[in-house]
Amino acid sequence: MTTTTQQTTETRPVLVWDLPTRSFHWLLVTTFAIAWLTHEDNRYLDVHTFAGYTFLGLLLFRLVWGVIGSHYARFQQFSYSFAEVIAYLKGLFGQDMRRYIGHNPAGAWAIFALIGFGLVLAVSGLFVLGGEERHGLLAGIVSFDQSVIFRETHEITAYALLGLAGFHLLGVISESLLHRENLVGAMFRGSKQADIESPAVRPHRLVAAAILSLFAAYVVATFGGYLTATQDKPYLPFKGPQLAKSQVWQDACGECHLAFHPSLLPARSWEMMLKQQDNHFGEDLFLEKGTIIELLAYAKAYSADHKQTEVAWRMNRSIPITKTPLRITKVDYWVKKHHEINDAVWKRDSIKSRTNCAACHQDAKQGTFEDAGMRIPGDNSFDAITWLRSILDKPSTQQQGVQR
Amino acid sequence: MKIGFDKLTAVLIFMVLASQAQAGAVDTLQQQYTAAGAGPFSAAAGEQRWKETHLDAKSGKQRSCQTCHTKDLTKSGKHARTGKVIDPMAPSANTERFTQVRDIKKWFKRNCKWVLGRECTAQEKGDFLEYLKGQ
Repeated sequence: MTTTTQQTTETRPVLVWDLPTRSFHWLLVTTFAIAWLTHEDNRYLDVHTFAGYTFLGLLLFRLVWGVIGSHYARFQQFSYSFAEVIAYLKGLFGQDMRRYIGHNPAGAWAIFALIGFGLVLAVSGLFVLGGEERHGLLAGIVSFDQSVIFRETHEITAYALLGLAGFHLLGVISESLLHRENLVGAMFRGSKQADIESPAVRPHRLVAAAILSLFAAYVVATFGGYLTATQDKPYLPFKGPQLAKSQVWQDACGECHLAFHPSLLPARSWEMMLKQQDNHFGEDLFLEKGTIIELLAYAKAYSADHKQTEVAWRMNRSIPITKTPLRITKVDYWVKKHHEINDAVWKRDSIKSRTNCAACHQDAKQGTFEDAGMRIPGDNSFDAITWLRSILDKPSTQQQGVQR
Repeated sequence: MKIGFDKLTAVLIFMVLASQAQAGAVDTLQQQYTAAGAGPFSAAAGEQRWKETHLDAKSGKQRSCQTCHTKDLTKSGKHARTGKVIDPMAPSANTERFTQVRDIKKWFKRNCKWVLGRECTAQEKGDFLEYLKGQ
């Protein structure tokens, strides 16, 4: 709190931000950006949760580093009172414009708020992952219905954090202009011009190396599966629960189309469908009575009403209790989830029909329909994995390029 | 060695049983059709019926057995509506064909109705089997 200085005194470059603090800062920015960009499309849930876990890990590290870290990284060094913040802000418009080597009072409050909101964001995300997706550290701790409140918390804090980051950036820019020093550059280089009395910190290279290696190892552990995946054995980042199977169901339904899992429609739908077996979407099934009884028992035991998976819960929730849909593709949730897919895609030879779930959903047969388990065949959008593979498969040509 | 021998025996027994079952299922059904007053069965008549097209009033489209099973019985077919792959019809390409009485009955019921708009007669079913079993 004493490290203020007047610009007239003699200065020297001093290391202010140690390497762990800088690594923390830029990794936090990166993971927040990744999480933001991947929050909408379910296909990238694995990338989103990867970013989220890293984000949480970084914040936890920062809490520790705020106690045992180097001088300017310690919370105690920048715990200013509200009165000091006001005085600082007033000073900006007056003559008493003070320059702080570490965090200034307003900046310090922004840091504490960013860390606090960040923790709420990450932890609420864990609850959403555990509640909606049944994955992660808190898998199944809250029910599907309870998870709604955590999702709202998660979304609101994400926007709040984005706003805070905006304020933080605004502060950095105005401070840089007022004192004619590049604060963004300082967060890269770590050093600032400071007077003789301001202490310099050690870079703490080992701690930073540990953070970066952990991060690299986590990247490999999370996404390595994509590199070894093949067409026949695709990589599924999330494995859903083992849902009960039925050979009778598989045989009876699977001989004409994918044996849609009973968790995709409520029991009343299956009941009506089997009652109308002589007019099954225009065709007569001629199923034997014994078979019908077995099919019905299985369908009722594992129908959408039992909310065994996220898709079961969401399908069931989107069907009004007064309705008994027979077509899975007419259920509101299904329609909403597929509205972006245009007719040209549906007509592709590799897809052909809206009932061909397995064309895109790699776990359609199991009935789990995990978020990160879908890939639209024939999509020529940029595929980072294919690109990375093409590089790894041709190391010789790459090296030649480098040598020249 | 002993285990290997047991496995071999099991496979042999299974193959014998499977081939018997195939002959068995077709024979059993054709006997039933004969008992119902049909016969003798002709592969040529079966082939002709198999390739005939029928107009479906509802969809306005021509339908035949080949719509789904394709013109080559030794190749996989495709369900006209769902696109689901159908295993080859010819026993020479698919040893599981015509081994289960129950399956044959079910498919005759479903598919005759789809193509012809009615159930097949005992004579027609016998002819179909006569034609298909030799493929």
